[in-house]
Amino acid sequence: MSSTFGGLNTARTALWASQRGLDVTGQNIANVNTDGYSRQRVELRAMGGTAVPAIHSVSSPVGNGVDASQVDRIRDVFLERRGQVESGRSAQLTVGNEALAQVEAAFREPGETGIRSMLDDVWAGFSALANAQDPTEPAVRSQVLERLDILASGMQTTRATLDQQWQQTRDNVVALAAEVNTTASSIADLNTQIRQATRSGLPTNELSDRRDQLVMRLAEKVGATSVAASDGMVDVTVGGTTLVAGGSALGLRVAGVDDPDAVGTGNDPRLVTAPGGTTLAVGGTAGGQLTVLSTTLPSYRNALDGLARDLVGKINAVQAQGYDVYGASGAAEPLMDDGSGNPVVDLANVNAGNISVRVTRPELLAAATTAPGVLGGPSADGDNADAFFDLSLADGGVDATYRALVVALGVEASVAARDVEVQKVISTQVDAARESVSGVNLDEEMTNMLSFQHAYSAAARMVTAIDEALDTLINRTGIVGR
Amino acid sequence: MRITHRAVTQTALLGLNSNLSSVSKLQQQLTSGKLISAPSDSPTGTNKALQIRQDQSAVEQFAKNISDGQSWLDSTDTALTTVIGQVQRVRALTVQAINTGSASTSSQQAIAVEVAALRESLLGVANSSINDRALFGGVTQGSTAYDTDGTYVGAPPVGEGITRRVSNADRIRIDVTGPEAFGTPGPDDLFALVGRIAADVEGNPSALSGDLAQLDVALDRLLGAAASVGARSARMGAAGQINTDLQLTLASQLVDVEDIDLARTIMELNQTEVGYKAALQATAQVIQPTLVDFLR
Repeated sequence: MSSTFGGLNTARTALWASQRGLDVTGQNIANVNTDGYSRQRVELRAMGGTAVPAIHSVSSPVGNGVDASQVDRIRDVFLERRGQVESGRSAQLTVGNEALAQVEAAFREPGETGIRSMLDDVWAGFSALANAQDPTEPAVRSQVLERLDILASGMQTTRATLDQQWQQTRDNVVALAAEVNTTASSIADLNTQIRQATRSGLPTNELSDRRDQLVMRLAEKVGATSVAASDGMVDVTVGGTTLVAGGSALGLRVAGVDDPDAVGTGNDPRLVTAPGGTTLAVGGTAGGQLTVLSTTLPSYRNALDGLARDLVGKINAVQAQGYDVYGASGAAEPLMDDGSGNPVVDLANVNAGNISVRVTRPELLAAATTAPGVLGGPSADGDNADAFFDLSLADGGVDATYRALVVALGVEASVAARDVEVQKVISTQVDAARESVSGVNLDEEMTNMLSFQHAYSAAARMVTAIDEALDTLINRTGIVGR
Repeated sequence: MRITHRAVTQTALLGLNSNLSSVSKLQQQLTSGKLISAPSDSPTGTNKALQIRQDQSAVEQFAKNISDGQSWLDSTDTALTTVIGQVQRVRALTVQAINTGSASTSSQQAIAVEVAALRESLLGVANSSINDRALFGGVTQGSTAYDTDGTYVGAPPVGEGITRRVSNADRIRIDVTGPEAFGTPGPDDLFALVGRIAADVEGNPSALSGDLAQLDVALDRLLGAAASVGARSARMGAAGQINTDLQLTLASQLVDVEDIDLARTIMELNQTEVGYKAALQATAQVIQPTLVDFLR
């Protein structure tokens, strides 16, 4: 037999549970648009009577109401993990794609301002000299030198743009490392708070949401993933190295060269742990930026340098075959060099950053093929200038190399753009799947609200009913004959 | 699958963004008029565009070369025609001198004076220049081919001579050097021969018939040179025609590769716009209502 007031107690737990349900519904609705919020649910559990048999116990219990102390965060760990991986990959691909778009902008092709157009002008200038009525005339010769000068400075500009992009990217990595360090220590702090709260039996849902959001940010920045640890904490790992272990976080710093010229000597820019100095295999934005620093930009930079070297070598070789206005051999006066003015041009020192026109006097351009010995004096022919023009037609010449470079850039950039498109679809699907588990659905919350509201009314009615029953017992009984 | 409002909003936003980016891409193509604005838009198209532009720049230069070569050949042709006329006059005077062996010395003297004058005139024509370059001087830097006593001071014919490049593969020679037109420099070239005739008319009439035979050889040589100039001039004209055609072909190829098809792009823009508007409409209708709207 249950106690007289047991029913009231049962109704009280029901009232409390419904109120709790309404509170949680309210919290869910309030956070319908909050980033990183996981919907919460009251775990309702029927409370039974004691199941331990006792000699004097004669009750046949029906249960003691409902227990609503537990509020759960609804979240799919597997999907969260997927979300971290995909957001890291998205960030990495996006960085690569943006870098290539910038490289494309640096080359300015196809158009009237790119290196191709400057090369065309140079060849047309040589052809004009070869076919001039008087190839010894200074005007037509200076025009060729001017055009060569424009080409050289065009190459220098493009290379300077690439260098600038490299420096900016490296600065970004440094800033990113600082941000990662702050985020990692915030995660460690939150982990500590969560452990304390868990141990004292306090709710940690909001703290966990905040922490998981930070973990997601790390996933995007450095490709971090998280593993659940004890007491509701998580460990964060980056490429196999643990960055956050419970309440302690490891720092990161950027190591490696800070000059694009030194890339490829085994000391490329990278992220290492501090303290420790272990290189991390990072993904995400940092991974993308490091690839740009060590592979993407240096490859285009080297290709451009190779082009400059090739151009100088070929131009000087043709110059050496000919004779200038005074009948002197062009071999003594190289047309282009590395800007150092050394008597012998060392091709190994020439790059797109220092390529320059060395000859300043137009008469020294070796436009003639006829040796002065043949005529007994300098000649006015322009056949060697035509040999310069022939450079533009040669297979494997500067133009063909440059075209191949631009096409390779186009292919790489369009592949990167397509990869980003594909990855965006995958990310969106994973995000939608995560959202479908943890997101707040207002319709659902409204129906929950109605359920709890009705449950509350019913429980209140229950109290009234018991109250009336007790009233009958207390006030209306034992008054016969009064 | 459980659908949440945020998920609906996100998917809607993604769809709207991709629609808008198509619209913006088409709009960029329409406003710039270019199909390719970066190599990644079409790597193969870029390759072709770069090639065509290079060819275009070369072909434009060839057009200049051709018109310049043509004017050089025309000047040479004019000069040779003049020389041929004058040599024919010398021949007529020589024949007259042979046939009038018994005539008075004064008439012989007159013939001699005229022949000597014709020699000066011939020298003048042989020294014609174009833009201060001797027409018959080869690759000499000087502005004359012969000095006043008829010695050749130009450059000997070297290599292919002065040429004009008319296409990537073809070069046409535009000059005729003095030795080729007027004979190897020395006692037997045109000017020495005409000078000798002037002297023989008065001094040694019996040698005149030998001179006449040599003059005929010189005349044949001149006619040969003029014919060669004419043939090259015709070749130059044909090259000019090919060049003009090539310029047109290249321009239309570049347009095909690089420029938009206006009608098609506008059609595409309209279609994309319709899609975008439909997406906007759908989003506006789906996102608005929730159960809240239907609860008392």
